[in-house]
Amino acid sequence: MTIMHHPGDELLLGYALGSSSEPVALLIATHLSFCAICRAAVRDIEAAGGAMLSDFEPTAMNARALQSVLSRLDDKVPGAAQPAAVSGDVPMVLRAYVGDEFAKARWIAVAPGLAHMPLLTRGSTRARLIRAKPGAAVSTHSHRGEELTLVLTGSYRDETGVYRPGDVQSTTPEIMHRPVAEAGPVCINLAVTDAPLVFENLLPSLIGRFFGF
Amino acid sequence: MEPLQNAQRLNHLVLAVGRNADRTAFKELFDHFAPRVKGYLMRLGAGAAVAEDIAQDVMLTLWRKAVQFDPGKASASTWVFTIARNLRIDAIRKERRPEFDADDPTLSPANERSSDENLDWAKAEERLRGALVMLPREQAQVIELSFLADKPHSAIAAELGLPLGTVKSRIRLAMAQLRSAPGERS
Repeated sequence: MTIMHHPGDELLLGYALGSSSEPVALLIATHLSFCAICRAAVRDIEAAGGAMLSDFEPTAMNARALQSVLSRLDDKVPGAAQPAAVSGDVPMVLRAYVGDEFAKARWIAVAPGLAHMPLLTRGSTRARLIRAKPGAAVSTHSHRGEELTLVLTGSYRDETGVYRPGDVQSTTPEIMHRPVAEAGPVCINLAVTDAPLVFENLLPSLIGRFFGF
Repeated sequence: MEPLQNAQRLNHLVLAVGRNADRTAFKELFDHFAPRVKGYLMRLGAGAAVAEDIAQDVMLTLWRKAVQFDPGKASASTWVFTIARNLRIDAIRKERRPEFDADDPTLSPANERSSDENLDWAKAEERLRGALVMLPREQAQVIELSFLADKPHSAIAAELGLPLGTVKSRIRLAMAQLRSAPGERS
């Protein structure tokens, strides 16, 4: 399967250098689990980070720093966590937030065929899962800020094209769209927003406000 | 020492720590990396005491994880950079660092496998160092700010008084220069 829609370079840069917030980093890390092209880009940026670190002007450590570290080298460390069971359908990087199985996630129904699960909020940036049964649509909306949507299962279509597993759609405030889940497996997306959505009509707007869309 | 030789020497030192728990090699790595990691963290806004603690933890992590170090995946400097980045996010931002799993069994067959991720990273780092120096000033500035400011690109744009789109396109142009040439990948 070929991924057609990749996150912007600035998002890969933020992830590789460690400046992206946790919700954005989560979306990028999940995309990277799907996408070898972006993994290679992140490795190149990390290598640039390594080069910059190696050329960085040193700041003297405390006089006893080396002794202190040497004395701790043989400390026992707690054993590494056992690798999670492979059973379940949630991508590994999302399991700490979602659990192992999508079917057992804490879904909250929002509209017929549509449910969501808030995952985490940092400042004004929020990550959630959105689940849409085939044919279900999110009412026409735009965004006050930027929205990133990563398809995990199934697919959806809007005015700009079709998005399949691994694809990332970036929407900016000027884009007004109405995503509809395509026929086939249920469509589950990871969505990250940095401001509430703006709905075209009042009713979805009220529902949206109530459910925190 | 020439940078390339230096990068190769650092790789050998980390391998010696991983294979033989070599304390002499570790001391040399400490002298090289700890003061640079401390400087990097202070530039990112950490106080001297916090930067000192994290730099010491980075070195402890290097000692414990050296067995996993693979010079085919990253140079020693890059590997230490990622350790420092992750400990900083954990200790200062109190956030979790989501790490991808390139072999995630749940994503097969959607996951694209790649066979080309083995690279001579010591050489790649040398090329990158050259590429960073050659970047036009305005592109170098956005890369440096991304490295040294714990801020998203939108905040960097605001700080520079530039439209977001301009910052994004400068990053895109810079990244095109920094990406490895296909021939570098084995």
